[in-house]
Amino acid sequence: MSNKRPRPPTQAQKGKGSTTTTTTTTTTTATAKRSASSQRFSERQAAKQRAAQEARRARTRTYGILTIALVVVIVAVLVIVKVAGGGSGSGTVDQASPPAGTPIPAATLAKLQSVPISTLAGASTSGVVTTPQSVNDPALVADGKPELLYIGAEFCPHCAAERWPLYVALSKFGTFSPQPGRIHSANEDGDVPTLTFYGTTYSSPYLTFTPVEVTTNKPQGNGYAPLQTPTQAQLTLWEDTNGGTFPFVDIGGKKVLPSAQYLFTPLENLPFSTVAAQVGNNSTTIGANIDASAAQLITTICGSLSNHKPAAVCSAVHGG
Amino acid sequence: MPKWPGVVGTVASALGLGVAGYLTYEHFTSSTSLACSDNGVVNCLKVTTSSYSAVAGVPVAVLGLVFFAIMLVLQLPPTWRRPEPAVRLGRMAWAVVGLGTVLYLLYAELFAIDAICLWCTAVHVLTLALFATTVYATSAYPAPSTEVVALDR
Repeated sequence: MSNKRPRPPTQAQKGKGSTTTTTTTTTTTATAKRSASSQRFSERQAAKQRAAQEARRARTRTYGILTIALVVVIVAVLVIVKVAGGGSGSGTVDQASPPAGTPIPAATLAKLQSVPISTLAGASTSGVVTTPQSVNDPALVADGKPELLYIGAEFCPHCAAERWPLYVALSKFGTFSPQPGRIHSANEDGDVPTLTFYGTTYSSPYLTFTPVEVTTNKPQGNGYAPLQTPTQAQLTLWEDTNGGTFPFVDIGGKKVLPSAQYLFTPLENLPFSTVAAQVGNNSTTIGANIDASAAQLITTICGSLSNHKPAAVCSAVHGG
Repeated sequence: MPKWPGVVGTVASALGLGVAGYLTYEHFTSSTSLACSDNGVVNCLKVTTSSYSAVAGVPVAVLGLVFFAIMLVLQLPPTWRRPEPAVRLGRMAWAVVGLGTVLYLLYAELFAIDAICLWCTAVHVLTLALFATTVYATSAYPAPSTEVVALDR
């Protein structure tokens, strides 16, 4: 089998051969050469394009991996800084209220004390999630009168919500002196505006009110700075009844509130005055929730603690 | 385009949807039954009832639910096979939104609330996994249409 390539015509052949044949052969060879060259060029170009595309893809993939690595590094740095103690949260540490709270304007307190019973009783109870539950505990008595025990904490947003109806309700049966101050639950725990019962004294001919605020709203270690310590009897009652969670309200050993009567979330981050302005206004969610909760407390106090006195209050509230 | 990004993304999104759904349920039921330690550094209740648990009045848990619901659609294998650049861009943008939110909430937990919620951490890990999957798969594998063009050459 011949493997010889066609030789180009020699000088002698060129001189002897037909001119037409020679020209045709030359043209065909040149065309074939150009075609082969063009094909090689196309292939080289395609290869270059493929290589460029592959390089682009590799570059993009590298950027992607670097982005992921950057995110991992950021997360790791945050954790390491925290673990190393570099960020103790001091930038947002709670601006703790004074122990007895910031004084509340007398006009605001007067308004909270004088919400008509009919308004409280007329509030929608749709936002009330916890009602007083009956218990068969020994009667709670203090200073010769039925006792209403409240255990809460100043950092606790649920407690912050519960103090509003408690204050409104208790104001119908007695007086605080000094009056509660204004505080808020911890910044990182809802920042719910409220009153504090710490440092107050409550006087009533019908009942004894015993408030215990276990901690402040000031962060300390993994919790909050302690404020008041429940007695052993209070602690046992609290832990046996609702597992020691905040808030806890025991109404004479006959009824208990194991948690707040309504959700605190609508009150988050609001100014004290905004919430106070809505008490007695049943057209707002906050107002209706506080009013309806206060009405339930008044009804319960009338039935379980005060022997339906004072009549003006207990006869006015539904079910009293 | 390999199958793994769609599978990994779908599983992570579905898990995230479940956890976010649980946190949403707990948010609207006073968080009293949240299955989590409430002592020391790990304190779910402290985190889920903090002022950082809502943005403009919308609970973060609900935002998480919405995030994972949309992400689930974007991560489904058929969606990964779609050639439209808008789909790839949208998925990437949504993953970046998730990443930004996670970094913000992580910062809040570590430096403002001073407590960690394990359920929230699970959500954060899933969101970061979705981000990594989306970024890697988008950068490493061309869109399906590009692949066809390349094969035709």
